[in-house]
Amino acid sequence: MLNETKYRFRVARADRDGGARRTDQFEVALASRMTVLDALCAIQRRTDASLSFRCSCRVGMCGTCAMEINGAPRLACQTRVETLGTETVAVAPLRNLPVLKDLIVSLEPFFSAWKRIRPALHPVAPDSQQLAVVRPDSDFGRQARGKRDCLTCGACFSACGIRGMNGQYLGPAAINRALLRLLDPRDGAVEERLAALDDERGGVWRCHTQFNCVAACPKGIALTDSIGLLKRALLRPRRFYEKLAPPERAQV
Amino acid sequence: MKSLHLQSARKYSGAYSGMLAWWIQRATGLLLLGYLFLHVTTIHELSRGSAAFDAALLRFRSPFFKLLEIALLGTVILHALNGVRITLVDLGIGHSRERRLFWALAFGVGGALFLAGAIPIVLFAILKI
Repeated sequence: MLNETKYRFRVARADRDGGARRTDQFEVALASRMTVLDALCAIQRRTDASLSFRCSCRVGMCGTCAMEINGAPRLACQTRVETLGTETVAVAPLRNLPVLKDLIVSLEPFFSAWKRIRPALHPVAPDSQQLAVVRPDSDFGRQARGKRDCLTCGACFSACGIRGMNGQYLGPAAINRALLRLLDPRDGAVEERLAALDDERGGVWRCHTQFNCVAACPKGIALTDSIGLLKRALLRPRRFYEKLAPPERAQV
Repeated sequence: MKSLHLQSARKYSGAYSGMLAWWIQRATGLLLLGYLFLHVTTIHELSRGSAAFDAALLRFRSPFFKLLEIALLGTVILHALNGVRITLVDLGIGHSRERRLFWALAFGVGGALFLAGAIPIVLFAILKI
């Protein structure tokens, strides 16, 4: 017999397209080490089959189950209920994103900002037959360490106070991605990214270093550091153009 | 176990202290704006002659205004040190230690400066020792 503890879950509910918002309460008995996602699955299975939420990998790799737990954006699959230290657990959809149903949000605003910085690799030499090798101890390898683990879960976007006030702001994840591409010696779309990042309303200058994104990121990425680095780099953007010169390009 | 409200409030003392610093900067900025207005209107009394200016200054000698002076000191210290913190962060200094930097400046340096300024006001201006 498992030693179970009873918890009260206050779950934010909404009908299709975010209508008829309300909060439902559920009593759930959970064993030690069980997560918020386990609790939501238990509610869906035993009490209310209509409860809607997203999940996929269950091991913190996909970022699908990001939601607001006790007021902070977290991955439901990585949040053990007992570590929250409360008998009542409040679960709500991510902020700054439109609610589709219950705990499901549309990530369209997040990915529309993501697209603005041209997240894909735009090779400096698209026809090159040479295999690019990025050594971990190279400049890019060192600078990218700890910044490339983004799951695109939207937790930072949801926690960002500036994005909450300014719908044009790119958000921390997109800016971090842009930095990685700008640092990448294989990538050549410097002009377009710098234009998006330097934009007065939506670019890096809107960040007020609240550090909410850093607190929310389930992978512990120093997002404010990436934004600060870009702010300083934008004052002297030449370093990003240097990689486009043929001799530099060879030093991958 | 902690209540949900208590945990929500304590969120800002932990990982979200940057947000707390942001709010402090806005609130203290508004308070200083109020003080600036009071300061300018008092100085403006000079244009009405020395007697009017003296009468305006007399208001600030009451113990109530001395307490407000202590509050002003705290507001200035919080605003200034938070400004230093933001400058350091913008220069890329202390990003990984941002939370410690906030608490060290707010309660360490700020607390020491506040006590150094507030104790003489209490002793010599309010208690008149």
